[in-house]
Amino acid sequence: MTVIQEYLAPRTLEELTRLVGDGEAAIYAGGTDLGPRWNKDVVEKPATVIDVKAIAELHGVRVDGEEVVIGACTLMSQIEADPMLRKSAGALAPAAGRVACPQIRNRATIGGNLCNASPAADTAVPLILLDAEVELASVGDDGVVRRRVPITEFFTGPGSTCRKPGEVLTCVRFKPLPDTTSCAWDKFGTRPAMEIAVASVGVMLEQADGVVKRARVGYGSVAPTPLRGHKAEAELAGKRLTAEVIERVTAAARDEINPISDVRAGAEYRRTVIGVMLGRMLNDAAGA
Amino acid sequence: MPQVLDTLDLAFEVNGDAVSVKVPPGATLLDALRDALELTGTKLGCGEGECGACSVLLDGRVVNSCLVLAAECAGAKIVTIEGLAANGKLHAIQQAFVDQGAIQCGFCTPGMIMATHALLADNPTPSEADAKRALEGNLCRCTGYRKILDAVLSLANGGVAHD
Ligand SMILES: Cc1cc2nc3c(=O)[nH]c(=O)nc-3n(C[C@H](O)[C@H](O)[C@H](O)COP(=O)(O)OP(=O)(O)OC[C@H]3O[C@@H](n4cnc5c(N)ncnc54)[C@H](O)[C@@H]3O)c2cc1C
Ligand code: FES
Ligand code: FES
Repeated sequence: MTVIQEYLAPRTLEELTRLVGDGEAAIYAGGTDLGPRWNKDVVEKPATVIDVKAIAELHGVRVDGEEVVIGACTLMSQIEADPMLRKSAGALAPAAGRVACPQIRNRATIGGNLCNASPAADTAVPLILLDAEVELASVGDDGVVRRRVPITEFFTGPGSTCRKPGEVLTCVRFKPLPDTTSCAWDKFGTRPAMEIAVASVGVMLEQADGVVKRARVGYGSVAPTPLRGHKAEAELAGKRLTAEVIERVTAAARDEINPISDVRAGAEYRRTVIGVMLGRMLNDAAGA
Repeated sequence: MPQVLDTLDLAFEVNGDAVSVKVPPGATLLDALRDALELTGTKLGCGEGECGACSVLLDGRVVNSCLVLAAECAGAKIVTIEGLAANGKLHAIQQAFVDQGAIQCGFCTPGMIMATHALLADNPTPSEADAKRALEGNLCRCTGYRKILDAVLSLANGGVAHD
């Protein structure tokens, strides 16, 4: 058993990136993934905890040129309620509102959700639908160095990302969705609240005269990482949402996911659930 | 085994009073409340965010104090179940829980009441669906929830004043 010996709360990004340095210390945001593991001694406690929440630039939602920027420390409850996100971020605000419960949503940050890299992270699929990018910052010779990574490349496996040990996630960026698009997202679990998704799926459609001009599909909890549905998207492109097309899209979805069987559900069950949920969303979109 | 090198001196506000505590850097807010300040109304149920028994208000937001580090609360305003009754009189939410029979063993009650407090501050006239959503992170193994929902809804519909 180890003990946390030091708590640091830097006030600037520059100071933070210097402190994070070689990545020995634990970066701490809302603590809703870290806290349960520490309390139950599931992992060794770090000697040093670096709280990222005292840095103003990591908080809140803003517009930067053509992009919407969500700071890493923005809470699920803030994302759920934000008027700009509700209007232009597709499924992101509703998905944030489906995370756990009020107590967790008041602490859980979007940066923590992504860096924790669960295949079930509820903000991941909505961000795939937005073609979002994450921004990572680290210390360089002349101060803070930033790079951007598309959300689909960020996740590398269950619990792992391409974030290097010295890097901090600063924000998520995306272009707001135009009014001509529609989004749907849902997660399935055995009860409506406090449920880590057994499977989740989202779809973004841009239709003109009943024809799909652009589509994005994403899946959660059915592969080692949140997954973009390239095959389902290909079946949607340029099509009208007829019963036959919807059947082909859901078949492609069941085919391109790679679920496992675990305590919460079997692989075949997850395949079925994804097909059913996506089929319902497309039927709704066809009727709209 | 590594030694705890530091003890933190923290100052914050609990139930309107300025307090200072000495805790190890890894202490949770729940540890600080129960062990250092002897405010044992807030309960440790699961220690992992599942049960809500440790719910308190941190700068106005309801949170699980078992998942908050005490260190980050320096300067914060915290309200616990002990902060609700005033002048020897139960708070309206507490009274409603008593009146509706929403308390059996009472272990979940402080958390239920703090979550209800947060709901009513936001939405003084919640529907049953709103009440269920507000309490989705609070488990009760005794009541079956019906009487707890009745207590919350009695406040919403009965026009009982609350702050
Ligand atoms: C009871 C319960 C229910 C839950 N339900 C859900 C749910 O329904 N859906 C869901 O998606 N999640 C759920 N979670 C998981 C968790 O709440 C979320 O993943 C949350 O968003 C994590 O954010 P945090 O700020 O609390 O992260 P923390 O615990 O602070 O950190 C998580 C990880 O990310 C790293 N990290 C945090 N911020 C940064 C940063 N800016 N840069 C680099 N690294 C960083 C940390 O080092 C750590 O490894 C639940 C958790 C609990 C306890
Ligand atoms: S003790 Fe904190 S949520 Fe259960
Ligand atoms: S009254 Fe016993 S747990 Fe709720």
